[in-house]
Amino acid sequence: MAIIHLQVNKQVVTKDVPDQTLLIELLRETLGLTGTHTGCDTTQCGCCVVLVDGVSVKSCTVLAVGVQGCQVTTVEGLADGTNLHPIQTAFMEHHALQCGFCTPGMMMSALDLIQRHPQPLTPEVVRSEMEGNLCRCTGYHNIVKAIVSASEKMHAANPASLAP
Amino acid sequence: MNPITFHRPLTLRDASDLFAQLDNATFMSGGHTLLPSMKQGFAAPDHLIDLSQVPDNAQISLESGYLTIGSMARHVEVATSAIVQNAIPALAGLAGSIGDRQVRQRGTIGGSVANNDPAADYPSGVLGLGATVITTLREILADDFFVSLFETALQPGEIITAVRFPVPKSAGYAKFKSPAARYPQAGVFIATFEQAIRVAVTGAGASGVFRLTQLEQLLKNQFIVAAAQSLEINTEELLSDLYATQDYRANLIKIMAERAIAHMGQASVFK
Amino acid sequence: MNSKFELPQVSAKPSDLIQGISLKAVGQPLKRKEDLRLITGQGRFTDDFSLPNQTWAWMVRSPYPHARILRIDKHSALALPGVLGVFTGTDCSADGLKAIDHSPVPSTKYDVKLRGPGDTPVFVGRHVLLPTDKARFVGEAVAMVVAQTREQARLAAEAVSVEYEELPWVADTEQAAAPDAPRVWDDLPTNVLVDATFGNQEATAKAFQEAAHVVNMKTRINRVTGVPLEPRAALGNYDPSTQSFTLYAGSGGAVRQKRELAQVLGVDAEKVRVLSFDVGGNFGTRNRAFVEFGLVMWASKKLGVPVKFRAERTESFLSDYQGRDLITEVSLAMDAHGKFLAMKAHNLSNVGYCCVSLSPLSKGSGLISGSYDIPYAVLRSRAVYSNTMATQAFRSSGRPEVIFAIERLIDKAAHQTGMDRIELRRKNLIKPSQMPYTNPVGSTYDSGEYEINMDRALAIADWSGIEDRRAQAKLRGKLLGVGMANYVESSIGSPKERADVIVHEKHIEVIIGTQPAGQGHETSFAQVTADLLEVSFDQVFITLGDTDIVTAGGGTHSGRSLRHASTVIALAAIDLKAKARQILAHHLKAPLESIDFIHGKFVHHSSHTQLSWFELFQVAQTADLPAELQGGLKIRRDNEMHTPVFPNGTCLCEIEIDPQTGGIEIKNYVAVDDVGRCINPLIVHGQTHGGIAHGVGQALWEQCLTEPDSGQPLIGSLMDYAMPRFDNLPSFKAEIAEVLSPTNPFGIKAGGEGGTTPALAVIASAVEDALLPLCGPVEIPMPITPVKIWTALQKAQKN
Repeated sequence: MAIIHLQVNKQVVTKDVPDQTLLIELLRETLGLTGTHTGCDTTQCGCCVVLVDGVSVKSCTVLAVGVQGCQVTTVEGLADGTNLHPIQTAFMEHHALQCGFCTPGMMMSALDLIQRHPQPLTPEVVRSEMEGNLCRCTGYHNIVKAIVSASEKMHAANPASLAP
Repeated sequence: MNPITFHRPLTLRDASDLFAQLDNATFMSGGHTLLPSMKQGFAAPDHLIDLSQVPDNAQISLESGYLTIGSMARHVEVATSAIVQNAIPALAGLAGSIGDRQVRQRGTIGGSVANNDPAADYPSGVLGLGATVITTLREILADDFFVSLFETALQPGEIITAVRFPVPKSAGYAKFKSPAARYPQAGVFIATFEQAIRVAVTGAGASGVFRLTQLEQLLKNQFIVAAAQSLEINTEELLSDLYATQDYRANLIKIMAERAIAHMGQASVFK
Repeated sequence: MNSKFELPQVSAKPSDLIQGISLKAVGQPLKRKEDLRLITGQGRFTDDFSLPNQTWAWMVRSPYPHARILRIDKHSALALPGVLGVFTGTDCSADGLKAIDHSPVPSTKYDVKLRGPGDTPVFVGRHVLLPTDKARFVGEAVAMVVAQTREQARLAAEAVSVEYEELPWVADTEQAAAPDAPRVWDDLPTNVLVDATFGNQEATAKAFQEAAHVVNMKTRINRVTGVPLEPRAALGNYDPSTQSFTLYAGSGGAVRQKRELAQVLGVDAEKVRVLSFDVGGNFGTRNRAFVEFGLVMWASKKLGVPVKFRAERTESFLSDYQGRDLITEVSLAMDAHGKFLAMKAHNLSNVGYCCVSLSPLSKGSGLISGSYDIPYAVLRSRAVYSNTMATQAFRSSGRPEVIFAIERLIDKAAHQTGMDRIELRRKNLIKPSQMPYTNPVGSTYDSGEYEINMDRALAIADWSGIEDRRAQAKLRGKLLGVGMANYVESSIGSPKERADVIVHEKHIEVIIGTQPAGQGHETSFAQVTADLLEVSFDQVFITLGDTDIVTAGGGTHSGRSLRHASTVIALAAIDLKAKARQILAHHLKAPLESIDFIHGKFVHHSSHTQLSWFELFQVAQTADLPAELQGGLKIRRDNEMHTPVFPNGTCLCEIEIDPQTGGIEIKNYVAVDDVGRCINPLIVHGQTHGGIAHGVGQALWEQCLTEPDSGQPLIGSLMDYAMPRFDNLPSFKAEIAEVLSPTNPFGIKAGGEGGTTPALAVIASAVEDALLPLCGPVEIPMPITPVKIWTALQKAQKN
């Protein structure tokens, strides 16, 4: 067992959990943040993606104790009160979700891409870089549109904060 | 997962000592090979020795014609490193083609090389460039390092600290991805040096990554695409699975070799 | 209360029911109401629920395709830490648990009537929660362990010792139908549970005799699995104080599962509450109850604590209901000019180890002639048991298979006769003047403009530019191919639906028994309701999924939901307006005729009274009303509708093959879909995109394969099961055609499954077209993977 300290959605978290606890288990079971989902057991579906220090990782394949001292951002940390994050707005506007199960992980992956991938984000780049996220409902068409749209808006609004 | 105790040594010495003291311990770097194995029940260590906090183990440097990459360098770091992109662009491209974005952001060269998955990309780059694997105990030439499927020359407790690549005159990588697992069904890495040409194939061999010496000879005679066309590949030593017969893999090896030859200086990915 | 859909006058049409309704929200691409909770991580999927003191179940599964269960030794497992119980089929039996009655034989008025061999009732097998006699497929649950933690349950499951006697097994569809195949059920002389023949034998035989051309084809349609991204899960709880059960479980119909599981447990339906809120994908996979749903409720009663289960993805691959797996032999008779005279079909469906739904065979059977005017046909429909997981409906249940058969048969006819494949289709498409059209196996298509859709699709796909593009591709070393396919598909579905429409203080609530898993019911139903009641879309909310609130309903499958929901809501709206007028009339002491409903307000001219629904709500609360008008401003309406509708359309797909690797890239995908009235184009397009992905996935990548020597499934994870991903699908060009159906007030057909229905055929057609110059006409069994394409090219080169 270890006492781990980290930040989740800007809140300090101190928990005593067994060492083998995966980050997703910490999030869902210990912290009750059920927005991040388990979809497979081979690290291939992307439903569990969160940001660790701003970088997208599959939380099913990371130990909680392995991200000690890090900042973890989950889907619950995207909106600012009732103000939706541009990625959330874009997903809603472009009907980029149907059942919604893959959506949290999808948005976190997309955010990582928008914030850290060299611009511009074309549909081809989106399709290539999002390979690690599966969706079974949408056929991806609208998700690509949503990500490109969010990227354009976020870059236009605040170019300095994003990757060159 | 089974209960484990997690250790986070701050030096390599501590890491080695821990391994020596503990029963049933395994090293972990990116965790993207080990943790999936543990989740599936294929690996069941009692102790995990996390190497990520050992300082200066992810450095990338170029000196006197050698590119040295620290074992904890993540795939994305190698892919986006200006040093690697300038020195061996095909290697940067190879790293940038591994797995998916999230895998690239956690997986490390040390972890990949130590695991020697027959379908991993790095072994073809390491073997193709004739790199040297540097460990806490010694230096191991690539030709001696990859022993068999998931088996390397590493001794228990021996830790990879870096991989040192001779900078070639040119290098190219071409691979064809499997529809499901997205690993290469054949990945061919070609490197040309003053005195030699080396070709290494991953994803296809029943015993893991291998040198395609036949092609090395042919290319030495003439470095042209047609050299690969006349290859005769022994299909019996190739992997066979749901998405590739042995004949098909042999074909892929040829075609990927042709495409690597035709596009030296980069990694080309097909599916 | 009327339960049948009765028209006020003999000459009235269903659309009369919405006469005078101004459509403001209907037809608009409104953003979805369900999105806010889903994009903020507030979704309510089954595994998101937890109860105090909950424990975990883990299933012990058979490693053999067919084996007698001799002994189950619980001792070692029971001794492990945290273990509360180990349960077997014997324990289920001792408690009198019954088999799940899936009612697998489709029995609505318009379903094709399937029967057993020799016109006997269909033997459906017993889907018990845990078997006592045999395990019949690899992965069948034979025992359940319950422990404090999921990990403890997992470890204990490994410690349960089961002694099996291996038995001969059969997995292959054709082999399973052989008279001497190992029998899955001892109750049947062979594994064949359905053998029924339809159509006109005599006329068909005559047509074939006289035909100038006869084209034959035999195809095996691969088995796939749904892979909804939410693994199945269930949380069961027993409350001894009320002797009732609660089950959280994502499904395709909470009301149905409540009823079925209550029967299994031997209790009245009122004693079971099913909560199915957000469901992470269904596609048919969740349309039938899983054994774990019953087991966790039962175990909760026995142990006195809630019991939770969540499947691993590996378990999902083994034991989710699977889809398709059909062998079809078809023949087409044509005259010298290419007019279709008759067809023959023999379909063999592999239902797996237990018959859970014959919907694919039944629905497919009704559509064998596709979009074409074929006067005569004979169809033999058979179903067979095998030692594989049970199959049931999967996205467009049965229709992609039969559309594949007829469309590929026509492609083959074109090759065989040298006639153009488009013109051959054009010549034989059913004309609008022929609607309603009864096809040779008795399905009556309601409406459609097939040729117009086809031409529209051809234009969007730039059919005339193909040869140019083919030449360009050749210069780049690629083989370009274009596939095209017409389709017609059917939406029947459970005939009954119920809506409760309730006016609250500031909003209107509709309670309805459909069960979406992403189709946007909360939005599209609100659009329909808003227009019917003349309120704002923002004021309407839809309640689903809790059987304590949703008392009746048909669930979601076969594209039934919007058609049934909109109809019952339209009827409810009429009843509610009538009741509202009565309330106001009574309150004002005015004659009923003097109360009008105009522009969303209840108006009494002479007193200058104008009340909105919400103002009338207040009146209804406080007014002195007779008994029959008390209880609030709300109404309950049931409806029963049997008439099927027939969505239809055309799609084209352009691909490029790399002949050196067999790799395929889809360059262009065009779909024109007649969905009837389109309530929300954003949602319909989304359904089309997702439906296309399912079809393309099956055509190019997906397969549930069994190892021929061992009977072991070769697909255990996403490492083996290739999926449509961001980087192997194109963006789509999807267009909607709205040919209103005369069968229901809004003229809705369905939009959920048209994307999938022609996709198998169109991909196969494109591949054949690409390989034609080098291989001649070629049929590569699906999934058409690169290795198969390359092998076909190699073979052609050698010859």
